[in-house]
Amino acid sequence: MKNSRFIKRVLAILVVFGLVLSLAACKKKTAEQPQQSSQNKNIEEKITLTFTHMFTNDGSAISDGFYNALNEYKKAHPNVTIKQEALSHDTYETKIKTLAAGGELPDVFVIKGSMVDPFYNNGQIAPLNDALDSDMAWKNSFVEGAFDDFKRGDKILGIPIQVQPTSLIFYNREIFKEAGINEFPKDWNEFKDAVKKLRAKGYIPITAGNKGKWLVESCILSTLGDRFTGTDWFVSIRDRKGAKFTDPEFVNALRAIDELVKMKAFNSDINSLDNNQQRTLYYNKKAAMFFEGGWAISLVTNEAPKDVLDATELAIIPPVPGGKGLPNTVSGGAGWAFQINANLDGSKKNAAIELLKALSSEAYSRPMLEKGGFPATKVTNYDESKLSTLAKKYQQLAKNIKYVPVYDVQLSPGVIEVMNSGLQDMIIGTLTPEKLAQKIQQEYEREASK
Amino acid sequence: MERGLFKPKSRVFIGYLALPVLWYVFVVVMPLILALKYSLYDWSGGPRMRFVGLSNYAELIKDTDFWLSFKNNVIITLLCIVGQIGIAFVLAALMTTRVLKFKEFHRTVIFLPVVLSAVVIGFIWTLIYNQQIGILNWVLRAIGLESLIKPWLDDPKIVIYSVSVPLIWQYIGFYLVILMASLQSIPKEIFEAAEIDGADGFKRTIYIILPLLADTLKVSVMLCIAGNMKVFDHIYVMTGGGPGKSSMVMAQYAYNNSFIMFKLGYGSTISVGILVLSLAIILLSRKLMGGKTQ
Repeated sequence: MKNSRFIKRVLAILVVFGLVLSLAACKKKTAEQPQQSSQNKNIEEKITLTFTHMFTNDGSAISDGFYNALNEYKKAHPNVTIKQEALSHDTYETKIKTLAAGGELPDVFVIKGSMVDPFYNNGQIAPLNDALDSDMAWKNSFVEGAFDDFKRGDKILGIPIQVQPTSLIFYNREIFKEAGINEFPKDWNEFKDAVKKLRAKGYIPITAGNKGKWLVESCILSTLGDRFTGTDWFVSIRDRKGAKFTDPEFVNALRAIDELVKMKAFNSDINSLDNNQQRTLYYNKKAAMFFEGGWAISLVTNEAPKDVLDATELAIIPPVPGGKGLPNTVSGGAGWAFQINANLDGSKKNAAIELLKALSSEAYSRPMLEKGGFPATKVTNYDESKLSTLAKKYQQLAKNIKYVPVYDVQLSPGVIEVMNSGLQDMIIGTLTPEKLAQKIQQEYEREASK
Repeated sequence: MERGLFKPKSRVFIGYLALPVLWYVFVVVMPLILALKYSLYDWSGGPRMRFVGLSNYAELIKDTDFWLSFKNNVIITLLCIVGQIGIAFVLAALMTTRVLKFKEFHRTVIFLPVVLSAVVIGFIWTLIYNQQIGILNWVLRAIGLESLIKPWLDDPKIVIYSVSVPLIWQYIGFYLVILMASLQSIPKEIFEAAEIDGADGFKRTIYIILPLLADTLKVSVMLCIAGNMKVFDHIYVMTGGGPGKSSMVMAQYAYNNSFIMFKLGYGSTISVGILVLSLAIILLSRKLMGGKTQ
């Protein structure tokens, strides 16, 4: 009897002890932070920067450049310790929003164009104008328009990571020939004819994976919309200067997508595949083309079977009859940028700014460019022979194209969510283009009234 | 001394309970109170908050998308009550018969999916449903039922049923274990007596097992409602509420509002809405079920 009682007591004490420990573990984390900031007041002492980002070391163009630059920075600044946390793209987006909501952003992090407004309005990020203006060589090293997604008035609210198109058409030359199309269509009507011919040959004309909801909007509608409406319309929408989503030009752009759906231009499981799965159909030569951004260039180069890769050509969406937009534009831009926490000051802030500089230096850009990436800064000396065939084809195409805004980078998250899930609804036929335009306009007006 | 073992002093009770209770308050009660508070604000995360009173709730009541997702929750709940508890009951009844062999083995196999992560289940079933490489379409093709092949997760008319199947499949084992436990507490003599009286198979199930399990079934239904009102992970992984809004559930809608549209205030309002509606439905079901047996 006595024995069992003793065991019970010991067990109970162990349980309580465990709970206390877990509580203490939580406390410890919060207790450490003030200590750090008091340390940083002494300028010469060691600095620790927390850095959360989405560059997993996966050998992609962007992660090569990133880690190269980070290592150079570490060598040049031995007194700075960087506590990194690398997450995958989608996880990162969720995490950074959650951290922002809790007011616990790391010292250095990555933000999307659409996060700028909420973060800035909440005082969590600050303009980088002073830092940029005090180092004009740095400021001038960026390509034209690199800051567009992160400018609010004159304020620059982020250092762009890269500048790339979000809407390219990858097509299989051989399949096009087989269907009797010897040249990529010159205008939208020809494009629709081509779709019909490909369909008649038994191919899926366009493979698309819209499960993540952004693909149709980001990679197709942003450019196609511009062909119909012209860029002025979008600027007017963004700055709330009177344009409406119910304007006939925009509705026509939605109708054009609706028409493609009705022509069975897409695979029937468009809404349950994601953008990685969409390319499988293309690699298997079941589909003739797909729409995706510049990032897909290095992916296709690495993944596609040799015969498919050799037959792959790049194009942009052809002009539409009567459209107000220019024929040589492509939606694109920076999309994502590096930013630092607005609470940083003194030597810690300087160290963070230095880190931003390192992440837009040639050490960052050159390896990226050579692997087929799209750095945001001008790169003067790089080894052109390292470029893949597809990347060279893109360089040719890029000579003539001009970037126009991507909807989901510059419009508010609320409007984008309505637009993106509305497009899914339209594709499955539960929403007409006119109704969808009305729904987007409704959300747009509701936000203005707040 | 012996008395001390069974009846500890009240301060010992309090001492042992204090920490777990504090912990519970910290992880359950506090967030609930905070959600109630946030639901009264227009808040996009961060320090800037604007008090808007009950206008979020007024918006919620008019929000057709929210009621659509509530309807989807109700459909899923009904399917799961019939599917999970129904199938579990049939299986449990089978386990009492002598016809079924290797009972331990069956029980383990049926219970196995319960311990799998919802995310893994979601991915597996997305693959099963895949149009090109999915095993479901492959089987249909192999047995000559090609006419039944559908874009399982793309057709807005059937997607809500498609996403319910994995949910049902996963939790049958859970209810089976609950029902088995209470079946085993029924004295063997009752079954023996029933057999002598000639009540076998179907009759035994209806007239003996069902009434004796009534209380357990009621608890199971309640668990099932509570679980399915907050269903999230499976749907998030398989469709994200899509295509469009056709498989949107309340928790997914709250998530979209909070973390995609940056409306954390309204997202909190939705979660309070989930709480209220779930409690209402549970109370309603208790009323309905209580009426039957009395």
